[in-house]
Amino acid sequence: MKRSRLAVAAPVAVVSIIALAGCAGGGGSGASSDSKELTVWVMGDSSAHFDELVAPFAEKSGITVDTVAIPWDAVDQKFTTAVASGNGPDIIQIGVSKLRTFAESGALLTLDESALADYPNLASDNFLDGVAGDATAVAGDVVSVPWVSDTRVLYSRTDVLAENGITEPPATWEALRTDAMTLAGRGDGQYGYYIPQWDSSLPVIMTWDQGGQIVTDSGEIDFDTPEFEAAVDLYTGFYADGSVPTNADFDQTQGFTSGATPMLVSGPYLANAIEAAAPELDGKWTVSPIPSGTDNTSLLAGSNLGVWGSTDNKDGALSLLDFLSEPETQLTWYGIDSQLPTVKAALEDASLTADPLVAVYAEQLKDSALLPLVPNWDGETGKALLDALNSIVLTGTDTKTALQTLFDATSGTSID
Amino acid sequence: MKARSAPYLFIAPTMILLLAFGVLPILIALFVSFTDMNLAGLGNWSVIEFIGLDNYTKLFADPDFWQALTNTGIFAIIGVPCVVIISLVIALLLNRSGNWFFKALRTFYFVPAITAIVAISLVWGYLYNTQFGLFNYILSLVGLPPVQWLSDPVMVKVSLVLVAVWRGTGLNVIIFLAALQGVPKEYLEAASLDGASEFRKAVSVVIPLLRFAIFFVTITTIIAWLQFFDEPFVLTKGGPLGESTSVSLFLYQTGFSASQFGYASAGSVILFAIIAAITLIQLRTRRSDDDY
Repeated sequence: MKRSRLAVAAPVAVVSIIALAGCAGGGGSGASSDSKELTVWVMGDSSAHFDELVAPFAEKSGITVDTVAIPWDAVDQKFTTAVASGNGPDIIQIGVSKLRTFAESGALLTLDESALADYPNLASDNFLDGVAGDATAVAGDVVSVPWVSDTRVLYSRTDVLAENGITEPPATWEALRTDAMTLAGRGDGQYGYYIPQWDSSLPVIMTWDQGGQIVTDSGEIDFDTPEFEAAVDLYTGFYADGSVPTNADFDQTQGFTSGATPMLVSGPYLANAIEAAAPELDGKWTVSPIPSGTDNTSLLAGSNLGVWGSTDNKDGALSLLDFLSEPETQLTWYGIDSQLPTVKAALEDASLTADPLVAVYAEQLKDSALLPLVPNWDGETGKALLDALNSIVLTGTDTKTALQTLFDATSGTSID
Repeated sequence: MKARSAPYLFIAPTMILLLAFGVLPILIALFVSFTDMNLAGLGNWSVIEFIGLDNYTKLFADPDFWQALTNTGIFAIIGVPCVVIISLVIALLLNRSGNWFFKALRTFYFVPAITAIVAISLVWGYLYNTQFGLFNYILSLVGLPPVQWLSDPVMVKVSLVLVAVWRGTGLNVIIFLAALQGVPKEYLEAASLDGASEFRKAVSVVIPLLRFAIFFVTITTIIAWLQFFDEPFVLTKGGPLGESTSVSLFLYQTGFSASQFGYASAGSVILFAIIAAITLIQLRTRRSDDDY
């Protein structure tokens, strides 16, 4: 270890000496120019949009914002490298499912009430309750502020449904199952519904809608409940009925626009994809709230923003966050990047609610919940859940056996 | 003195690179494999704890790791003979003539080896697609039902091996072609005088003389297949249900997606040991080829 520390330390030392020399050479401007720059890592490919969004901020404050787009697939790697090298951005976008992992790395600045006192827009009661303040605190520490929200709603092809005598999108999961069977009866290669085999939130939504929870009051993950069992019956029932395609490479946008899968549950981004891929379908599809069982809770997803702990421009970073949390900024962002706000005032703004699609999202957002903030949802708990369900429906594993494997794999997982 | 240090001077750059990027990482991985290093530990080294062999015991009890090992074994068992035999046959055929057509073919076979894996996976992903893929369309033309190329637990292995064989053949063809240049003309002329057919010459003269090239290609191909990663990573992400997860992909997922660096390091040490053992066995069992 000593040796490897030395090996790392030596080049680091050399680099810092060079950097220091550079600063000294530049005269007194070195220190002050630092605080006039902010590096922001945004996820996905919306960096050009983000530049546009923060242009007014840059103009007013004189701070240059340098936006770096990180592809979703590379997020983990990029973050790991940043933590290892200590060379992170000033502000980073964090998908809420990654929040706990990021928080536990210790790389993010704690954003408690006292740190945010000077920034009124960042007060937690401005934001959707489901993601604000304590709701996304990890081990009692708040390390992020909400940024954009995302929820899941039911998409349906009204034209296809009408041709098959279904006048309205199904309002309950039972009705959805019946309608899906009807639609699957149209022939080979035609289905009624689509289940993304990689989406671990759908079975959780189904459990919520049966009135259940997957986290106990004491914070333990618990799938061994009658409500989860009912959700499993619902989930596997679609496969048993032949209502859903079984191939993993099924393309959901293509399936929806071609009418092969005229109903599916997805987020607002699907609406953009449909509008882009098949503008001729305008008016032939609609979104409606997630089907209900005893409840109709949907998934609350989206992204938060965090400040890198070792930033040398904490005030600048916080004032940028403050700017981004202004209702007008959030509405502008929806306008240019179609990402839903997290600020309540923005979600209630008339310009948003006038759009019937957005009205449905905004309504659903009020009844939606986060996936449990366990240490590694994507890689462990969620994966175990999907593996169990997929093994039942794809390889015919006995339900009891598959569920027992799931209980064993997730026992002892806790959100604390 | 000067003459004696010359060879060391020549090999020094390579040795330094090899030590820095080959040996040192292995030593570090060995060290990390005895710790519980994760993302938090990476940011703050003081929280890293020594946990001895815990990672290894956990790894041996992990069904996902065993599945990945089994998959890798299956990939290698199907893939290695395919690559070696196909590239040898192609090289023998390409070597029969030196006209422009065969020269163009050499390029043709080498193209997959230099094309970016992402481009390859996009194209193959579309070919394999169950809904609108070319393969299923061709099957439908002759009245066959669609095949779930990347979704069926058995088929997915075959599909990935097919892409990797297609991709891995080109480089080995070039190696074999180079080796074929070294086959002495006199031997072939002598065989012709004895009335041997073309096929007989290939089997009894050329292939035995290619023994070293075949050995080299086999060893490098086995090592490559034990580190099989690109194709499942981009085409299936290891699915369905881990049926196409190779050991390398498993290590990537536990290391970079789940940030369990200690655990992933333990796995990489085991993979290293397996590859080293297989290579050593091959080196040992090789007969010395002094019959040139």
